[in-house]
Amino acid sequence: MNWTEILTFSRGPLLHVALMIFIVGMSYRLVRVLLLGWERDRVPNKGSKIWGVILNYLKGLVVLPFIPWVRRTFRNNALTFIAGGLFHLSLFVVLAFGTAHILVWKSLCGISWKSLPTPVVAFFSATGIISLIVLLINRLTHPVLKILTKLPVWINWVMVFLPMVTGFIMARHLWFRYEVIFSLHLISVSLLLIWIPLGRISHFLFYFFSKTIHGAQAGKRAIVP
Amino acid sequence: MKEKTIYEHLREKGLSRRDFMKLCGTIAGMMGLELAPPVKALGKLAHPTPAEVVAQALTTKPKLPIIWLEFQDCAGCSEAISRSSSPLLSKLVLNDIAIEYHETLMAAAGFQAEKAKEECMKKYWGKYVLVVEGSPTLADDGIYCVVAGKSNLDLLKEAAAGAAAIIATGNCASFGGIPAAHPNPTRAVGVADLIKDKPVVNIPGCPAIPEVTTGTILHFLVMGELPKTDELKRPLPFYGNTVHDHCLRRPFYEAGKFAESFDDEGARKGYCLYKLGCKGPTTYNACAGLKWERGLSYPVQSGHPCLGCSQPHFWDGGGFYEGQSAPTIIPDKGSTATLVGAGVAVGAALAGVNAIKKNRAKKALTKNAGPEAKAEPEPKKEA
Repeated sequence: MNWTEILTFSRGPLLHVALMIFIVGMSYRLVRVLLLGWERDRVPNKGSKIWGVILNYLKGLVVLPFIPWVRRTFRNNALTFIAGGLFHLSLFVVLAFGTAHILVWKSLCGISWKSLPTPVVAFFSATGIISLIVLLINRLTHPVLKILTKLPVWINWVMVFLPMVTGFIMARHLWFRYEVIFSLHLISVSLLLIWIPLGRISHFLFYFFSKTIHGAQAGKRAIVP
Repeated sequence: MKEKTIYEHLREKGLSRRDFMKLCGTIAGMMGLELAPPVKALGKLAHPTPAEVVAQALTTKPKLPIIWLEFQDCAGCSEAISRSSSPLLSKLVLNDIAIEYHETLMAAAGFQAEKAKEECMKKYWGKYVLVVEGSPTLADDGIYCVVAGKSNLDLLKEAAAGAAAIIATGNCASFGGIPAAHPNPTRAVGVADLIKDKPVVNIPGCPAIPEVTTGTILHFLVMGELPKTDELKRPLPFYGNTVHDHCLRRPFYEAGKFAESFDDEGARKGYCLYKLGCKGPTTYNACAGLKWERGLSYPVQSGHPCLGCSQPHFWDGGGFYEGQSAPTIIPDKGSTATLVGAGVAVGAALAGVNAIKKNRAKKALTKNAGPEAKAEPEPKKEA
């Protein structure tokens, strides 16, 4: 089997099967979490649920990474906060505004938008990779994190790191022949898609549910989330 | 009687010595000879210039007989050669090297043509180069492509047996090409899939670039062996780089400037065609270097994305205008809904089982706790 055949396989059947497992897996996980059931919130409504939700998203997604004094997290654990924030921001920029990724969204959803200039995306891509390495070093050296970190966390790190680093090498045309690194990128992405429903990276979906519910609860009690 | 050398043939036709040396230089350039490697065909020759190597070969070697077979094809590769932008080279290959049998180009027809082929094969057994254009077909013993009452499989095996080397020109002969596109009803394959005991080189393309075909033939003539190839048996001097590597729109790719449609501002400014489905990054061919029509242009220069026609199964590699990064198999709405439904159903079923277990456990706990557990709420009231 040569690399052209491996690329054909990874662009076609492998990615397809991985997508299928991802869709089934995430649907399953979501239903299981939603059907765990929750207690009825009997607190009388003192404020606005919607405002609570909006505020929670503003703080969590929009304001938080850019206004560091909003939350105490920054004061307590600066490195995790900065590296974690930059990693998530970079990942979002690369996935949403990288030209190759826009073409993927277009083929899957039928819609496309303008991409960011390649150097900008490359900058964010490198930032994401460096952040991930910093977070790994932090995890390896921090006395408490070392104890807390078990095998699934290491797997999470590898599963996210591989697509990012192969994607960067591919986009910058470094070292490998294009079809080789393209195949490796697609294989690592497929592995990630299969792994997401099994591990904690599924928080990319649950995050929005918890953020909404917590925001609504805080808004109902007229407190800042 | 000693056979005439190619140089003698050319001199007889009135080619001057000066023109001959020019020709040698052109051939050396076309073959991509920078510094001649040890030349098998010429014995011990210490570091000659590329043009000298070619000249030495043409003045010492007799004509190289070529048998050109066509199977499942459109004759586009022959058409390209006959209309080649470098008339010198194609003339050399067509008239002087020389092609002994070519169904489309030869004047003879029917039994006369077949007889000529048989005589040529007998005369040059073990010496001729077999060029194959079009894909051989395996289904039903090859009956879907029959010439002179013989199946293409028989014709190929018969001609390959006496060939010194085989050149598969065009994507069809190299990898099956369009006849091999899904569902491949005739089970078309590449020549190299069938012939394992002879050196085979692939010159894929749709059509193959004529200078690449002639360059490869001349390489065999001059060096006495086929050029070095990549893992898909493509000659490295011509297929060593991707179309993307030498693309004149590459700076726009690096800058992230893309044409969004064929008639937008970006297209008019010559921006990169990656978003319009260009397969240049994974396509190995000499288009961007040699170009077509005497170096006038090639598809990407003319405003059309590369289709990847020198890659195996390019016809089935996603839509021509689909981005290269897009998956080739995309789940449709129906199958996505089914997958979501399956996940939800399994999740709900397990959640149901879980709920039943939980209730049973609760009941069992209440039962085991007995009257004490029931009496528990009372102190709360008092409090």
